[in-house]
Amino acid sequence: MALSMSSLSSQVAPIALRVATTCCCFSTSKTHYEIRNLARMRIVDNSAIGKAAAEIGKPPRVIHVYNKKNIGHLGDKVLVTVKGEMRRAYIVGLKQKQKANVPRMDTNNIVLVDDNGNPLGNRIHVPIPSCLRGKGGDLTKILSLATKFV
Amino acid sequence: MASRTVLTLGARPLGLSHNLCGNLTTLTGLEWSSVCVQQVRYRRFPKFVVRPTTRRPWHVRKWTEKKDEFLDKSNEQFVREVIADKYAKTSSSPLKDGPWERNPYLRGTRRSGVLALKLGTLIHWKKDGTPFTVTVLQVLDNHVINYVPPEVYATYPSHCPHQGLRFGLQVVGSLSCDPRQFSKPYNNLFVKAGVPPKRWLTRFLVTPDAAIQPGTALNVNHFKVGDYVDTQGRTRDYGFQGVIKRWGMKGMPKSHGTTKSERKMGATGGGGDKDGIWKGKRMPGMMGNYLRTMYGLQICRINTRYNLLYVAGVGVPGLPHTFIRVSDTVLPRKQRTEDQMSSVAMPTWFEEDEEDPLPEEMFVDDVFQFTEPSLELEAEES
Amino acid sequence: MAASIAQICVKNIRSFPLRQIDLVYQQTSCVCAFFSTSSPLSQPKKLKHVINYQRTHAEVARALRKKQNFLHHEMVDKHRASPLQSGTEQVSEKTGEAAPRDYRFVMPEFLPNPDFRYRDKILEKMERQDMLRRRAVIDIPEFYVGSIMAVTVSDPHSPGKTNRFVGICIDRGGRGLQAYFVLRNVVDGLGVEVMYEMYNPTVHSIQVLKLEKRLDEQLYYLRNAPLEHSTFSFDMQPVTLPRDAPVPVNTTKVKLNPKPWEYRWERFNLKGIEPLELTPKMEKGIKAHAKPWEDYDLMLKYRQKVNEDEEKSIMTEVFQENTRIEGERKSSRAVLRRKK
Repeated sequence: MALSMSSLSSQVAPIALRVATTCCCFSTSKTHYEIRNLARMRIVDNSAIGKAAAEIGKPPRVIHVYNKKNIGHLGDKVLVTVKGEMRRAYIVGLKQKQKANVPRMDTNNIVLVDDNGNPLGNRIHVPIPSCLRGKGGDLTKILSLATKFV
Repeated sequence: MASRTVLTLGARPLGLSHNLCGNLTTLTGLEWSSVCVQQVRYRRFPKFVVRPTTRRPWHVRKWTEKKDEFLDKSNEQFVREVIADKYAKTSSSPLKDGPWERNPYLRGTRRSGVLALKLGTLIHWKKDGTPFTVTVLQVLDNHVINYVPPEVYATYPSHCPHQGLRFGLQVVGSLSCDPRQFSKPYNNLFVKAGVPPKRWLTRFLVTPDAAIQPGTALNVNHFKVGDYVDTQGRTRDYGFQGVIKRWGMKGMPKSHGTTKSERKMGATGGGGDKDGIWKGKRMPGMMGNYLRTMYGLQICRINTRYNLLYVAGVGVPGLPHTFIRVSDTVLPRKQRTEDQMSSVAMPTWFEEDEEDPLPEEMFVDDVFQFTEPSLELEAEES
Repeated sequence: MAASIAQICVKNIRSFPLRQIDLVYQQTSCVCAFFSTSSPLSQPKKLKHVINYQRTHAEVARALRKKQNFLHHEMVDKHRASPLQSGTEQVSEKTGEAAPRDYRFVMPEFLPNPDFRYRDKILEKMERQDMLRRRAVIDIPEFYVGSIMAVTVSDPHSPGKTNRFVGICIDRGGRGLQAYFVLRNVVDGLGVEVMYEMYNPTVHSIQVLKLEKRLDEQLYYLRNAPLEHSTFSFDMQPVTLPRDAPVPVNTTKVKLNPKPWEYRWERFNLKGIEPLELTPKMEKGIKAHAKPWEDYDLMLKYRQKVNEDEEKSIMTEVFQENTRIEGERKSSRAVLRRKK
């Protein structure tokens, strides 16, 4: 079923495609929107690989979170699979409930970086939470690309 | 059925002797006046045991069921007025003899504490905007009831021998009541202090240099803002609970043929030389109502008008309106510094110590005060 | 001799509980001999404290009953008001001009927790006092779910040290100092929601750009609606209502996006959305999860509401204090104008 649908990828709508190409048609972390392994994300920079992944409608999935709890929060570094490749990325927007004065986004956003921590794209086209500016580290390179802070 | 014969000296009341004198005929040679023979069915543990912790022989009976003869409304009112009058005089000046000597606060000194009512929790902010929870305690109507010097305390059964003569006992009570509802021996405890009988009594171990004269009133100014205190009280009483609530066990599956054992524990142990149920096995039972202490909580705000202590942090045991013992902390890292030691109220705070009346509200430096308008702007500029 | 003692014994036994009597009758024959030489029969000597003595049923029941380690809040208030109490002031109730009838919808966060176990007069009073002190510092205007608001908070990381956000209020809740509201807007095509605490010291100003109500108490369904319903310009100019005009109700009906949704909106009985096309499965779910009896559950309503008299006294206090604050604010503004 899944195979036959994916062969028709050019004709069908993206939602149906997403249902078909991923193994199960329901989210594994619906209620709390926790960023854990196999959580689906959205790439918000203009890197080539991110665009290509968005074109075929296959969202990147988290396969590792670089902290001890293995649950990602704002500003955490994650390892994702994009088009069969492993890429590192930073979380810059979350769907789950946040503390006071911290924005909550409608999608789970990531920005791809290479192994040295330099962002792959050169523009970010969504707003970035302002509280990330205090974190420092590799995030400053990402924040320099941002156009708008909320 | 195993049985054993018990020889008891003296008389036994009727209700206790189920099989009294069951085998009288076998004991013809003994004197009636001195010996009673009682046969008891063999049972290893008695069903209910009065342990020394629940009732001590030296405790006096507190409540009384005795009612006064019928009083009509005017008489009742008159009795109340008499009681209020009796103690109104003493409350203004309860000290009958001269005031006791006051000593400076030293490194090893341990002061008395106060009995507070837990009122609930609130949210407060620090000056940088970080929220934290405070627990509000009210020191309501506290009086010192008695002081037992170390020599006398050493003869008490509750005295720990390793403490030697270091500590005396300070009895503190809170919430004045109508004396008619208490028994006479309980009311007699308060005669020396000259205060109305209290609903709740507790005792603190104090060093003799911090002893407070009976009859002295205690209030929040016993502590200063920024002090660290220990709060002790009884946790919420849940009653008899199962293993899932009491110990957080998993239970059994809800379906797949499980019947009547969804909330039961599984196996109780292994076999072989580790068989049997070991002591301390987690099982259903009475949950809550334990005595618990939270150590080293900081007092971040004091209200002198309503006698409120705002203690930073959660975890002060019990539901609201639980009685909490509040005393100086015993944690070595959170003791007072040398310059703080000179300003401690020793043995407690008296009104004549202060030249100016204290402000109604006192805050720790880093807590945001709701009255200060410019504070957030300053923080924002820096 | 034995018979007479037995009679005495029976006489005294009448005061015993019933269950013991038959037992005593069995034993009378031999007991009398036993008692004849021991202590006086009429009052068997009370046992001193022994480690293991049999307790009566009443004693056992008392021990097994839940020990009350806390006082009821009414009892505490009684102690506070008692003439024997000294050293602590009592809370005085304000009298005077009463608040308008629907004032509790204007200031819902001042109503205390209806659960009696968490009630306390002094704690509520102190919390209200802190809130009103904060209200004297910053102006927290009247707003409702559905109003469009702008909030400025201090932000240590931004160059201007402040952060302004505009959006529609989709939720309002919390009580006491923890009261909060949630704003929603669409920025660069991405829906953004921010939760603000009303009494948080980082909040600089709260401004209502357009005061209106919606048909629902929460507007979380805007997450699954087209983005145009929650898009508002950051440069929006405040709309002023004529004085003493009632708050207008916005009756727009939102058409939801097709599924998947965040929640099953069809079960929430929403008034602000267009009628949905219900599948048989959805209808079944609505039927299964409906709670029609709650409309008639008077006890439930009673438990969820604060007593009316108490509510009235609280609202009176808040109203008087609030009018005083606003009067001061107006006079200070007038002084400023005159100086210019």
